[in-house]
Amino acid sequence: MLESARSRLKAWTVAGIGTAAAIAVAGVLGAFGARHEPLPVLAPASRIDTGEWLLRPLKAYVTAEKYAYGTLLKPGGKALVLELEMTNRTAKSTKDYFDVLQASPATVDPATKPFIVLTRDSTMSPELHPGMPERMAYIWQLPDGAAAPASFGLTVIRKTYKPRDNLYGLPGWFNPTPAGTLTIAVGAGPDSADIQP
Amino acid sequence: MTAEALDQENRAGERKWRRRSLWSLALLIPLALAVESYDSVKALLGDSDLFARRVVWGQSAHFGGSDWKLTDLRGAFGMSNLPPDSVPVLADFQVRVGDPDLQKLWLGCKVTLIDKDGRRWLPTSIVLLKTPDNVGNCISAIFSGAKSGDTLNLRETFLVPKEATKSIRPAVGVASERPRFLLFQLEKD
Amino acid sequence: MMRKSANIVLLLVAMVFCYGLQTSKPRYGDLIGPIPAYGKLGDTAVGRAFEVHAEKVEFARKLKVDQFGQQKVLTTGGVWAVVTVEFAARSESTTIGVASWRGPTGLTYDQTERLSFMNGLLPVAIDPGLPRKARLIFEMRPDQVSDATLLVSEKLMAALDSQAEIALGPVAVAPDGLPPGTVDMLDYGAAALRKTNDGRGFGSGE
Repeated sequence: MLESARSRLKAWTVAGIGTAAAIAVAGVLGAFGARHEPLPVLAPASRIDTGEWLLRPLKAYVTAEKYAYGTLLKPGGKALVLELEMTNRTAKSTKDYFDVLQASPATVDPATKPFIVLTRDSTMSPELHPGMPERMAYIWQLPDGAAAPASFGLTVIRKTYKPRDNLYGLPGWFNPTPAGTLTIAVGAGPDSADIQP
Repeated sequence: MTAEALDQENRAGERKWRRRSLWSLALLIPLALAVESYDSVKALLGDSDLFARRVVWGQSAHFGGSDWKLTDLRGAFGMSNLPPDSVPVLADFQVRVGDPDLQKLWLGCKVTLIDKDGRRWLPTSIVLLKTPDNVGNCISAIFSGAKSGDTLNLRETFLVPKEATKSIRPAVGVASERPRFLLFQLEKD
Repeated sequence: MMRKSANIVLLLVAMVFCYGLQTSKPRYGDLIGPIPAYGKLGDTAVGRAFEVHAEKVEFARKLKVDQFGQQKVLTTGGVWAVVTVEFAARSESTTIGVASWRGPTGLTYDQTERLSFMNGLLPVAIDPGLPRKARLIFEMRPDQVSDATLLVSEKLMAALDSQAEIALGPVAVAPDGLPPGTVDMLDYGAAALRKTNDGRGFGSGE
């Protein structure tokens, strides 16, 4: 009887020490400090590295024209246009830029997907090529009757390169995570000046 | 019986079984390969036109639930704007629909021309010829809503080199009949 | 003692052997990758279902094209490269769908998507016995023009199927950073296309 109580005590102690050691190791490795940090605030005049892309915001404005860069807009509505320079940092032509910028839900309905246009010749979402900076325009349709905002917020999403994914063993960019937020002033119109670094 | 004799007998039995196991491998390994590759082989066969069923000129053949008949095969000479030494070829079929579930039976319908060297031509998109309203093609027929007993007129247009026109024969394949396909013979064959 | 150390040596040898096996094992991506069919500029690369003959490479600062009856001038931040090729199907009609330009440092430039709906661009359908000319148009950084490889395949994922790899050879560079033969404007009007014989022939009847 006494024997079994003692062995049970021993088992509990060993288990307790093991658990404590595991938690301590996890703490040292940073398992608890990882989240809960506020996202860094990025400067609009900076170059933003999202892994695949190097972004340089140039200007933002609201337009009520019928077309913005060859894109037909909803009649009577307004659209928010963000122009930026995008450089493909990868080794391959890609158009994986649809989720790289998320406009804040305060300005743009989250269900609204932007049109993404190459400003050079108004091509709708072409592939961008490695190491060649291009000026692109993200065009979000604003909700009906919304006033032109003075500024708007953006969340920048970054991805991580994996030389081999777990399914096909092929290289690719995975695990989108927010990299930071930035606030961009909305200019008067298409002629407003570019943001200078 | 002494321990030694017992030991010897055990060893002989062991040797016998070892030999039996070895021989059974000769059977088991091919069997395992066959079981493993069964699905792949089935998919491969179901995806290609391999075994021709010849259809004599003027006869119709039951295929994919319907009766197929080649009514005409001719070249459309004298067109401009084509690659040199090429001829548009028209193949006309008359199909009497039997089983009207064409969306299932005619899935993957592919009409080809095959020449004596086994080269295959698919319908072309380079040549666009006007067809009468009551003439469709294999794919449009699937969605035509034809009922049992209806007669469909189908036409496919191909672009083949002049040297091949003598030996080309039309062939029809559908997913429900693969790997078998119909190879139509001409009047002169 | 002797036996013990022999065992240890054997264990070490086994570990090195296993490590070697592990590192030299081909990855899944390599096993199911495309099968290269090599060739060089001026001769023919022969794949399983198609052949490619790369005739010439031209460089230009701008391209002039006809799109929906309108003239359009396409600029680029780098340089345009236009490869004139002839495709031939081997035993069955097929479609060439994908081409890219791999520069000397491995940067891969896909065929431009800014000229969609133009005749003579990929995808190109080819029939046996009827070779067909086509143009492959790329835009790239000027430092990627020399010693490049042209990659051509039927489908995007050419898994276990042929991919033509055509060595385009060295290209000299002028002081302005572009190849010396770079023209200011390449004109791809309707006339230029008709000459290559890949225009759609609208026959008037039978």
